[in-house]
Amino acid sequence: MTARAEVTRGVDYRRPSLWQRIIASEHLAGWAFVAPAVILIAVFALIPIGWSLLLSFQANNLLAPGHYIGLANYRALSKDPQFRAAIGHTIVYTVIFVPVSVLAALGLAVALNRKLRGIRFYRLAVFIPLVTSTVATGIVFLWLLDPTFGLVNYALHALGLPQQGFLQDPNQALYCIVVMTVWGWLGFDVIVYLAALQGIPQDLLEASEIDGASKWATFRSVVLPLLGPATLFLVVWSTINALQLFDEIYVTTHGGPLGATTVIVYYLYQQAFQFFNAGYGAAIAYVLFVGILIITLFQLWVGRKRVYYVS
Amino acid sequence: MASTSTAAVDRLVRLDAPEKPRRRLPFSPWHLFLAPVAVIMLLPLIWMVILSLETSSEAQSFPPVVLPTGLHFHNYVTTWNSEPFGNFFLNSAIYSLTTVASNLLFCSLAGYAFARLKFWGRDVLFIVLLATLMVPFQVLLIPTFLIVKHLGLVDSVGGLIMPNLCSAFGIFMLRQFFRTLPIELEEAARIDGTSRLGILFKIVLPLSLPALATLGIIQFMWSWNDFLWPLIIIDTASHAPLQLGLATLQGAHRSHWNLVMAGTVMSQIPMIVAFLIAQRWFIRSIAFTGIKQ
Amino acid sequence: MKRICLLIVTGALIVSGCGGSSSTSSPATTSSASSGGHVNITLWHGYTDVEGTAIKALTKQFNATHPNITVTPQFYGNSDYALQKVLAAIAGGKPPDISYLYGSWAANIATNPTTVNLAPYIQKDPSWNWNDFWLAARNVTTVKGKIIGVPALIDNLALVYNKKLFAQAGIPLPTPNWTWTDFENAALKLTDPSKKQFGWAYVNDASEDTVWRFWAMLWQAGGSILSPDGKQAAFDSAAGLKAMTLLQTLAKHNAIYLDDGSDVYPGVFNSGHIGMLWTGPWDLSQITGHQPYGVTILPADKNHQTISGPDNWVVFNNGSARVNAAVTFLKWFTSPAIDLEWATMTGDLPLRASVSKLPGYNAFVQKYPGIGEWAANLANATQSRPVTTTYPKISTVVGQAVQSVLLGKADPQQALSQAAQQVNGILSAPS
Repeated sequence: MTARAEVTRGVDYRRPSLWQRIIASEHLAGWAFVAPAVILIAVFALIPIGWSLLLSFQANNLLAPGHYIGLANYRALSKDPQFRAAIGHTIVYTVIFVPVSVLAALGLAVALNRKLRGIRFYRLAVFIPLVTSTVATGIVFLWLLDPTFGLVNYALHALGLPQQGFLQDPNQALYCIVVMTVWGWLGFDVIVYLAALQGIPQDLLEASEIDGASKWATFRSVVLPLLGPATLFLVVWSTINALQLFDEIYVTTHGGPLGATTVIVYYLYQQAFQFFNAGYGAAIAYVLFVGILIITLFQLWVGRKRVYYVS
Repeated sequence: MASTSTAAVDRLVRLDAPEKPRRRLPFSPWHLFLAPVAVIMLLPLIWMVILSLETSSEAQSFPPVVLPTGLHFHNYVTTWNSEPFGNFFLNSAIYSLTTVASNLLFCSLAGYAFARLKFWGRDVLFIVLLATLMVPFQVLLIPTFLIVKHLGLVDSVGGLIMPNLCSAFGIFMLRQFFRTLPIELEEAARIDGTSRLGILFKIVLPLSLPALATLGIIQFMWSWNDFLWPLIIIDTASHAPLQLGLATLQGAHRSHWNLVMAGTVMSQIPMIVAFLIAQRWFIRSIAFTGIKQ
Repeated sequence: MKRICLLIVTGALIVSGCGGSSSTSSPATTSSASSGGHVNITLWHGYTDVEGTAIKALTKQFNATHPNITVTPQFYGNSDYALQKVLAAIAGGKPPDISYLYGSWAANIATNPTTVNLAPYIQKDPSWNWNDFWLAARNVTTVKGKIIGVPALIDNLALVYNKKLFAQAGIPLPTPNWTWTDFENAALKLTDPSKKQFGWAYVNDASEDTVWRFWAMLWQAGGSILSPDGKQAAFDSAAGLKAMTLLQTLAKHNAIYLDDGSDVYPGVFNSGHIGMLWTGPWDLSQITGHQPYGVTILPADKNHQTISGPDNWVVFNNGSARVNAAVTFLKWFTSPAIDLEWATMTGDLPLRASVSKLPGYNAFVQKYPGIGEWAANLANATQSRPVTTTYPKISTVVGQAVQSVLLGKADPQQALSQAAQQVNGILSAPS
């Protein structure tokens, strides 16, 4: 405690009134701080989510008045083989996408976190795919991966390797989507990591160097643990996003070929806006929501144990 | 123990060891890694620019013409004049800048509370807010439309903005970042009698510039690239933001793909500019010089 | 810092407030009804490019000649996104007065209470000359006896061929007497993997684009989609098998450029890599000026039937004054003279058979090389797809069947039987 605090304490100390204690209380402060966010999110997110929950209990095509059918949509979902297939595709996609994109971003961010001539250009280059519209990205990849005229098959041909079907091959399409989305989202993870790397106290790095640790050892034992909070954030956020994959599928494969890239949200979209089965679509959204919630809670729980915050 | 000598600080901008080995290349070996990565990342943009400079006829072939016969920069002028692009840019600017400012403000407040304050129901509330990120927008767009309609904001830029004033994403991200800051500074200020709001604005936020810049640029990008919500809420062309405006160029069939690409390239320039501006805050914030215990 | 934040928040609220009032500066809004006899109506469309210019020009012309009505065209995005916007507007109780809607949505749109049944208006007014509209277009406007739309677009599939490639391969050009055998032989002869050349192109994304070409083949072989009572699948007949087998044969020999749904095949045609297309007039604007091409009717197995993909103008009920104004506009817009004006501006096919007798028709045919073939081919569009709420699901099932055959993952009989079984399941499910 500084001297000033001691003096303040000694002179001004008076037992605060109940009202003063309430105002000073952390509970009130906490709620006051979150109030604007909570109100906005309650109105514009929680209410719509509630509306959709009600929709999931209806048979409703959003045109004719719907009627309540209880849990019938959910029961139908539990028996729906196409829904199960969509879950499978989504999980495969997520399990590959999240680790690959987070690890690649970590490597890139470390590479970009240095003084190098043109580093600003490199950072910008990594950021560009993120701002490129999904439509433009989709079209470029459709061209790159075209089985007949695409650049990639052209390169494979030049190397004497067999031509691939890529987005037209049911066994390859989903993995091509992984590549496409990793490419598109890398910039996001990289700038989050860059910001986190900026927050690493220099004295810790310097101490480690002075102690004679190699760069790799410094990275492993100092940098990596301090990136824990950012990593947790990226893993949770990437997972939430990956499980809701839609845009890239809509723009390229339309759920095919032969349903190989029909992920949950694409299946939802088909049900609601192609088959006019909005109630069923809402039920799909809720099952997905519960799944994402459970996975996220699990990730946060693991994070609580494994991630520590400098303090 | 913490050193504050300027020489040490200067050296520590890089992760390299203090003594570099003698280079065999005239440039840093990092270029060998970063340059190809940059090319891969830039490929679509390069391709879009090439297409935007072609004639309509060249742009109608597949495989695409990679080396156009001439550089038709007037495509940009033609595209600009074909639709009220000035309006589109203005609407997008208002939409993006407002949502960036509001998110930075509200998410800082909330993120700080979740990071540092203990209040009743905090953890449950955090999960509830996070949960709003877990429902796909396809399902939410109609009820959101109904709410905005009740507020009388259909077909207006205000209607674009309102549902996007605050997102749980920013709260989550800033909470994580704030928790990495050493708490001693805040505790010291608290003891000095600074209000919690004061701590947030005078101590925490200045140290969080990289995180704020990151949130800012991401939110800017989301608003700038938003298509579906503007489509639902906007009817009149003069109220449309950029991506929606661009859609009026893009027919179902590709007769003027070169112009569509010109429009798309133009729409990306502000985001690139925004990123270059935000990048300034990715450098080390000088206020952080270590703490004496 | 705090002050700046307060300013920003205040600014946001002001802007959102301003936003609400600025919408009244546009000439017509959906909220205003008639004032002193004047009616404002909105028309939602997805037109871009030449069609976008044309709709603005023609509505302006209508507004000038009809002082009591103002029609405001508004762009609502393209394809599937448009449906979401329309559904949102309907949910909000303020649908547009007129909206362009795909024919495949007709059966579902008809279930909406605010969709206006136009039958009374048309029956009361014989000058509509309703039967002048092509049969294929009329089929899609009628759902269970109600007329829920006015024809907005009509098209059909015809055979487009690359004259240069035919000459190079030494094959005589396609004629209106061509059979499937002629077609198959030509496609195989035009295929040359070393030049990356394909005899034919097919959109293979398992969407309706994949399915409707197959339906044309099915009809040409004398088959039908469903049984006459509409309760059973009928496409797994000998006709269906013949059609699927033709697809399989051509695919096996790599004679087909398989487009993944992103519609690049016209570009591939333009670069001289495809011999023949089954496509419609919408591709004309992209393929004109590249390869020398010709247009003729589709080859026959038992007949030269083609398939059409019509769309509708649907009227929603925002009060009788606005419905009447909407009907007035649509009658004017689809009248023979105005329809010919539209066709000449856009290259879309005329909606009415009588348009071909108008004096300006020749100018229209000259302006778009090959369009005359498509217009005449409308007479071959004698069958239509079922206009039912279950059709989208049927389409998905059959689309996957066709896709699996084209990718060589299933054989025709197997694919057809499986698809028929699934479709029967869909048809028998309680709606």
